[in-house]
Amino acid sequence: MKFFLKIFIFVLPLSEAYAEGQKSAGLPQMDISTFPSQLFWLIITFTALYLFMWKFVIPKLSTTIEERKDKISNDINDAENLNSEASKILKNYDDKMNSASLESNEIVSSSKATMNEYLDKLKKDNEIKINAMITESEKKIHQQKQQSEQEIKKATIDTIKSIVSKYVETVPSDDEISKKLN
Amino acid sequence: MAADNPIDPIHQFEISKIAEMQIAGVDISFTNSSLFMVFAIAATMTLFMLSLSKRSIIPNRMQMLSELSYNFIANMLRDQVGDQGRAYFPFIFSLFMFIFFCNFIGLIPYTFTVTSHLIVTFAFAGLIFLAVTIIGFMKNGLGYLRIFYPSGIPIFLAPLIVPIEIISYLSKPISLSVRLCANMLAGHSILKIFAGFIVMLGFLGFAPLIFLVVLYALETLIAALQAYIFTILTCIYLNDALHPDH
Repeated sequence: MKFFLKIFIFVLPLSEAYAEGQKSAGLPQMDISTFPSQLFWLIITFTALYLFMWKFVIPKLSTTIEERKDKISNDINDAENLNSEASKILKNYDDKMNSASLESNEIVSSSKATMNEYLDKLKKDNEIKINAMITESEKKIHQQKQQSEQEIKKATIDTIKSIVSKYVETVPSDDEISKKLN
Repeated sequence: MAADNPIDPIHQFEISKIAEMQIAGVDISFTNSSLFMVFAIAATMTLFMLSLSKRSIIPNRMQMLSELSYNFIANMLRDQVGDQGRAYFPFIFSLFMFIFFCNFIGLIPYTFTVTSHLIVTFAFAGLIFLAVTIIGFMKNGLGYLRIFYPSGIPIFLAPLIVPIEIISYLSKPISLSVRLCANMLAGHSILKIFAGFIVMLGFLGFAPLIFLVVLYALETLIAALQAYIFTILTCIYLNDALHPDH
């Protein structure tokens, strides 16, 4: 790079001197005679460009850009609306789920309670019945026991009588026998 | 001229008449400069015609190009001037596109660079200077004179500051026009000189050729950059006119 720069610095004055010798006048930029023409055509072309930009390009571009901005913001609004709606629906669903589970819990607990009540009642009723049956059967057993005891006694007395009658003349009365037996 | 001197770097800036024209004795001939002005606006118009013929919500490439340039200038104007600058947008946009296309068309070999002539850039700068001064006085009345005496400066410095501010204000159109013109003039002259070296050095010409390629890239950058600088400075001057307190 330095090498090129050296060449450049060395050659530049030479070439400029060369150009200087060839030139008829000074810089073309300083030639006042061309100024009116340049200004005239600059005004015409730039005015044309300005009008083109002002009346045609900028309105079209700005409406396009505005339309796009509107569309994007509308789309964003729509998306936000849909999002909030979806979350509303989700909340609704959650609420319903919660209330339904609460309700079902209630139903389960209440049915459990009624079931327990019924079972308790059933148990009590049965206990009463069983108790009654037990006392009755106890009574029966007692009766039968007494009966059978009397029958055994009677049979024993009868047996003793019959045995005694074979050996002794005077047969003892039943009361005497029962007294002796006890 | 060009035939007997292949490396005359100034030749490319010469103005030659294509059609003679006169109005009231003033020579307003259609020259190569006029031709390239027409080329520049034709290129701009073609670009926008093509890009706007089939515009849609989702832009195609050409539409993207025009919208990018539109947004670029609109954002520049909004950042520099604010919402009050909207009224001047068509002018700023046309100005940028015109200078941009003149600079770029000038980069094509054997073309003419309209913006390399001081009278053209000075016409723009002078117009901007006049417009900005008129806008400044219209919007602020005599309060516009505040720009020559920035707030917060002690009064005993006023005799020093006010002349400096006036000179800097008056030199704005000169610096604005000379900056663009000199950049174009110098850049294109150097390009021409190096292109001449390639021919002169014969087989050793590859060295300046490499340099020329690099320089050409740099000039392409400068062409865009100078259009940008000219436009943003216009925005800054406009902002000074609309808000002289800043």
